[in-house]
Amino acid sequence: MWLIRRFGGLFGMIAVVVFFAASLPETFLTLRNWLNIGQQISMLAVIAATMTVVMVMGDFDLSVGSMASLSGIVAATLFVQDWSIPAAVAAAVAVGLAGGLFNGIIVSLVGILPFVGTLATLTVFSGLAFLISDGRTIFGRDIPAPFGDFARGGPPLASVDDRVLLLPNLVIVAALVVLVVWVVLEQTTYGRRLYAIGGNREAARLAGVPVRTLRLTAFAFTGVGAALAGLMYASRVASANPTQGDGLMLTAIAAVFLGMTLTRDGQPRVLATLVGVVVLGVLDNGLTQMRVDSYVREVLVGTIILIAVGLSALGRDGLVRR
Amino acid sequence: MTFRSTLIGLSMAMGLGAPALAQDVAVITPYLAQPGTQFYVDGFTARAEEAGWDLNVIDTAGDVAAVISRMEDVVTQGVDAIVINVDPAQVGAGLQTAADAGIPVVGMDAGSDPLVAANVTSNGYAMAAETAVYVANRIGGKGGVVMFTFDPFPPVQVRGVVADAVFGNFPDIEILDRITPDVSDGGIADSRAQMEAILSANPEPGSIAAVWAAWDQPALGALQAIEAAGRDDEGIVITGIDANPQARDAIAAGGNFEASVAQDFEGIGTAAADTVARLLAGEDLVRRVIYVPTQLITSANAD
Repeated sequence: MWLIRRFGGLFGMIAVVVFFAASLPETFLTLRNWLNIGQQISMLAVIAATMTVVMVMGDFDLSVGSMASLSGIVAATLFVQDWSIPAAVAAAVAVGLAGGLFNGIIVSLVGILPFVGTLATLTVFSGLAFLISDGRTIFGRDIPAPFGDFARGGPPLASVDDRVLLLPNLVIVAALVVLVVWVVLEQTTYGRRLYAIGGNREAARLAGVPVRTLRLTAFAFTGVGAALAGLMYASRVASANPTQGDGLMLTAIAAVFLGMTLTRDGQPRVLATLVGVVVLGVLDNGLTQMRVDSYVREVLVGTIILIAVGLSALGRDGLVRR
Repeated sequence: MTFRSTLIGLSMAMGLGAPALAQDVAVITPYLAQPGTQFYVDGFTARAEEAGWDLNVIDTAGDVAAVISRMEDVVTQGVDAIVINVDPAQVGAGLQTAADAGIPVVGMDAGSDPLVAANVTSNGYAMAAETAVYVANRIGGKGGVVMFTFDPFPPVQVRGVVADAVFGNFPDIEILDRITPDVSDGGIADSRAQMEAILSANPEPGSIAAVWAAWDQPALGALQAIEAAGRDDEGIVITGIDANPQARDAIAAGGNFEASVAQDFEGIGTAAADTVARLLAGEDLVRRVIYVPTQLITSANAD
């Protein structure tokens, strides 16, 4: 029984992959398709990985989606004013850092619940994005060509049927972000202390862990991660729109929860989060290729998340009560 | 035998069926929830059913990056053609993927791009000519005309160019002003304010013969200004373009707002499907932009 409880989530996710591999024998398990999936989930992977940092402490950041929109708008607006690409990108990341630290201050120093505090900053960041852009989409000649080309490029990997396969730049960026978060959470005192806060905040405080400072700084990760993801999105569509990143927030939280069903103690782990992101990407990719209706696809994805998290919750209850 | 047919049935049910003879076409849009887009898709779907295509309509609910992702997915799936309803400049990565795989992409009122085999849309030049000529004929080729244009937005800029040419061809038509309204609040309010200023500057009844607007909002603003100034009995002729519901109501009411031009959204969908059919038949398209006829809307057919 414990085997199902412990590895049920993992089996379920492998089953999803096997199902698509059997249903789409010609295309699903090809290198080209997996590079596509990698590229499609890269932005979500960055946001979900950094979201894991705050969720480790039992906190949330609901403002990441609108921060992603805002950072794209900031960079694009600076492009219009003839800033160089590195300068504009750095400014957008700085905005993300500032927004993240602001979230950290209101949550840890002021003591507002993360749900309420970041819901408010979600609205603020979104409003700023509309304010700066006048509600318009910035595209075309206003976006420098190398910025849009970044998302389309990457080092060549192989050649299949005379078509060169690239390792997409966006996948490389996402892999680096996941690596950094993994090192921070799993290999440093800082990260272990975040887990201690998540386990029991009061006990951590009494043990001498600087809870306030840690919670404050941890939100910098989600801010910067959101800004990076927003820039990746803007590069992929070679344009910036004040709402384009908004959808990333809920999906990122869903990915962390999916990942939590895989870990032994139900804690957020960044590699488990990555598996959650991949599963969500695989579902979108596979169901599209199987020509499942867009709206049915959304219902299916939501249901699968419910089943996965529900089974895991039942399993854990079973351990505690019975 | 039963076992075998069960297997076949099972595999068919799972989508593993025999190689499909029907051709696979994917329509991908972020805007399916918008009424105009639904008309395009209805027109397209009707023609696709006649042709017996396996049609997959994909909505990404406003997410443009997801349009690129879904284009990549259907390219992997190996569809025969893709139809998009989004600015090609924003989905360049998806267009490149399709081009590399040799899959044609047709635009449904999407915009032109070297990687789009053809874009099916309405002819902005023709729409502007229709209303400009309507104005010139209605005022007997003479009098003062106020123009509302918007050159920063290319699809509207072409309308202004055509109207300039038409009015320039009538020696007795004088352009009183060529106004670019502030559109940040939708365009009606600022157009009304600008029109009020022009009415004050031209107080003589009959000094303004007509208002030609490159789209409906300035026409509605001008109408409000003329009515508020009590000069709606001077016979000032107003025209717009697009025939949105508010404009249709104003035209049907029989006041100064006399004409607009309606695009045939469903017809654009049908023509996009016809274009896909030609591409699937191996035809080389010479025209990269395909125009669908529009209709002049007056009080006779505004309802």
